[in-house]
Amino acid sequence: MIIHFTLQTPFWLEVRMLIQVLNGLVYGALLFALASGLALMFGLRRIVNFAHGSLYMLGAYIGYSVGAHAGFWTGLAVAALALGLLGAALDVLVFRPLQDKDPLITLLVTFGLALIAEDVVQSIWGNDTLALAEPGLLIGTVQIPGTTFPVYRLAIIAFGALVACGLAAWLRLTRIGLFVRAASFNPTVAAIQGVDTDRVSALVVAVGAALAGASGVVAAPLLSLAPSMAADILVDSFIVVVVGGLGSLAGAFVVALLLGQINVLGIVFMPELTALLPFILMVGVLIWKPTGLAGNRL
Amino acid sequence: MIALAAAGISKSYGGFHALSNVQLTVEQGEIRGLIGPNGAGKSTLIDALSGRDGRHSGRVELFGRDITRLTPARRRALGLSRSFQRTSIFPSLSVRRQIELAATAVGSADTDEIIDEFGLLPFADSVAADIGYGDQRRLDLALAMTGQPKVLLLDEPAAGLSFEESKRLAQHLRAMATRRGVTVVLVEHDMDVVFSIADSITVLQLGAVLAEGAPQTVRANPAVIEAYLGSAG
Amino acid sequence: MRNIRFFAAVLALCAIGPLMATLITSPLMLSLLAQATFAAIFAVGVGFLIRQNGMVSFGHAAFYGLPGYMIGMLLPGASMPAEVVIIGAVVLTGILGFAIGLVIVRVHGIAFGMLTLAIGQGLYVAVTRVRGITGGHDGMNLRLPRELFGLPLKFLQQPQGMLIVSWLVLMLILVSIWLFSRSHWGRLTEGIRDNEERIRFLGYATLLPRALVFAASTVVAAIGGVMFVIYNTFISPDAVHWTASGSALIMAILGGAGSTWGPALGAFVYFLLKHAAGSYTTHWLSIIGVALILVSVAFPNGLAGLVVRWFNPARRGAAS
Repeated sequence: MIIHFTLQTPFWLEVRMLIQVLNGLVYGALLFALASGLALMFGLRRIVNFAHGSLYMLGAYIGYSVGAHAGFWTGLAVAALALGLLGAALDVLVFRPLQDKDPLITLLVTFGLALIAEDVVQSIWGNDTLALAEPGLLIGTVQIPGTTFPVYRLAIIAFGALVACGLAAWLRLTRIGLFVRAASFNPTVAAIQGVDTDRVSALVVAVGAALAGASGVVAAPLLSLAPSMAADILVDSFIVVVVGGLGSLAGAFVVALLLGQINVLGIVFMPELTALLPFILMVGVLIWKPTGLAGNRL
Repeated sequence: MIALAAAGISKSYGGFHALSNVQLTVEQGEIRGLIGPNGAGKSTLIDALSGRDGRHSGRVELFGRDITRLTPARRRALGLSRSFQRTSIFPSLSVRRQIELAATAVGSADTDEIIDEFGLLPFADSVAADIGYGDQRRLDLALAMTGQPKVLLLDEPAAGLSFEESKRLAQHLRAMATRRGVTVVLVEHDMDVVFSIADSITVLQLGAVLAEGAPQTVRANPAVIEAYLGSAG
Repeated sequence: MRNIRFFAAVLALCAIGPLMATLITSPLMLSLLAQATFAAIFAVGVGFLIRQNGMVSFGHAAFYGLPGYMIGMLLPGASMPAEVVIIGAVVLTGILGFAIGLVIVRVHGIAFGMLTLAIGQGLYVAVTRVRGITGGHDGMNLRLPRELFGLPLKFLQQPQGMLIVSWLVLMLILVSIWLFSRSHWGRLTEGIRDNEERIRFLGYATLLPRALVFAASTVVAAIGGVMFVIYNTFISPDAVHWTASGSALIMAILGGAGSTWGPALGAFVYFLLKHAAGSYTTHWLSIIGVALILVSVAFPNGLAGLVVRWFNPARRGAAS
């Protein structure tokens, strides 16, 4: 994942660094918003969802089409809602029936779904790259000492922060959040305690999918839309979840931010090797700790 | 000659003491019963002795040789073999093939003999996943006993076996000890099996040795009766 | 007696190659079959890893494409014969595979999958970056000599010729793998796959056998890749992209990784189906997606499993 930007200021190292860090935060925030759903799904159902990038992509395209008629914000809302419903359907029709089987089967099935999703998108919207304009509210740049920075990118950072705080609050402060944490920790005991793990699971997958879809819409003005966008971001989101520790939101948060910074800083200092760094990071962490930084289960 | 010796075996998680300074000395050719209530630490001790879990303090010796830091594979090469409380076999291999694997590991060729001894001949060419539970239990034991091990650690071998099968197993173990000098440490809840073949018995409670001695002595020990035998008989 | 029947069967199978080359006249179909054979060798490598180690690799295309790049880079300046460079590339890939295997087979489950993905994508990125050496996204043309292994290059780059040769190579690989799975090492690695802990308690070290199986699977993939570049005289990053690894995995699963020859069958069905579907519809991705889902859920032994069951309804369990 590469973010291009134009340096508009004199060569002041501090400002340059600030811009880098901000750009890193932009991608990190986006990655976290997307990967959080993946982390939740794994935490609850021990599922590796190969179709997660597809949820992101579908959200972006739905947001694009609806947005063309009714504006960006409506597009965002509809996309999140639609993906939420799709997520619930996914849990009920795919994850739940397959949960007692070899996890490889679910992986392969979601892989198949990802292929189908790519075909659907290609058929409906074509293969060309599409553009989505940022909402009127967020056009323009902001003055930062020494330079300017696009408002929309700041908004993306805010989006990521919102998702992080929202999820943290939901999990820690609400009853359902408690059920989710209980069921993630020990599904059997939680079920015995009276938690309807199936309903909790459907909710979690719906939320994760909605977040993925919303991330797609949010990312679209920055990264454009193409049928390959699912695959592009899937690898990075897997790195985030696997390295952060499968099921751990805190781990995903840390790694997402880290990856964001690595990507951007790498471009500046080590352009040749930039894209290799996430993989080197992953290899290093997994060999040291196969369950990931914060995880305790494979 | 002392076949198996363990001294100062202790293991704790947080504040919980799974094993407290356990000492065990087993003579060659002896059958030692290891009994005690659930949670007493019997399986934990077997795990420590067999090398399955090396996170403990203390020392384990096999025929005088310090094996505390050795891997299970190395211990097997030196003659120490074990069976498992929860059946641990190879579901997709045939019965014959897995016993062959066990035999080849130690350069032995007693596959047919073992298959016969454990009544596995009817399903020798069946895939292990397809045979019955009791047969799988016997297969687990057969894998442990292939290749003429010198010291056997058996974790509830009679569990899942019928009355007849348990009796046969007990007689088999007795014969191995007497005729071939095999040393056996036997964790069991089936008191008939234990008291019929054990030369001596160690009783564990809450991670520590409660009593130790000849079967009749242990049987009559009031502390043992109160802790365990009184209810299980 | 059994050995004679065995060799006769193998010879008969090898003869299918020349048979196809003579009976099929459409150059398009012949070329398709030749390409399918390279893919079949690749898929067999991936399937071998699944079957013997119980491990799923998402990055095996790295080992498929690497020899091609090695040959492209080393051949122009090499003083030794091209055959040595080619074989050397395969051997080097295998050694690299073994070294990598020693490290990554210790990791299980999804983490292993992610590591292989990392390796595959790592090579892809490396190859696209160093444009000066590898040609980057544009790929690299290989300059092969007029004769290779005693055969004129023209023959090898003709659909008929290559089909005969690569089919033969595929058969040899299948036979080797089949023999391996029936050997002590084959049983041992299956045992490790089933229950690694118990294998250790039986007295075996488990790292080396698993690393060797991983290395062997990379060598098989490398051989497929070598055939590919000899035929096409061209290598590009697409050959090592994770979608290439994914395709090989799909072929292996579709055909059935539980048997030696399943992945090869899967590769042929994949290519033929893709070709057939291409004339009727553009929805190839959906078709293969649905096929993958069906096979994963309903037919875990893949097409090979179905074939076996059709010929032998009474048979079940792990069969080769």
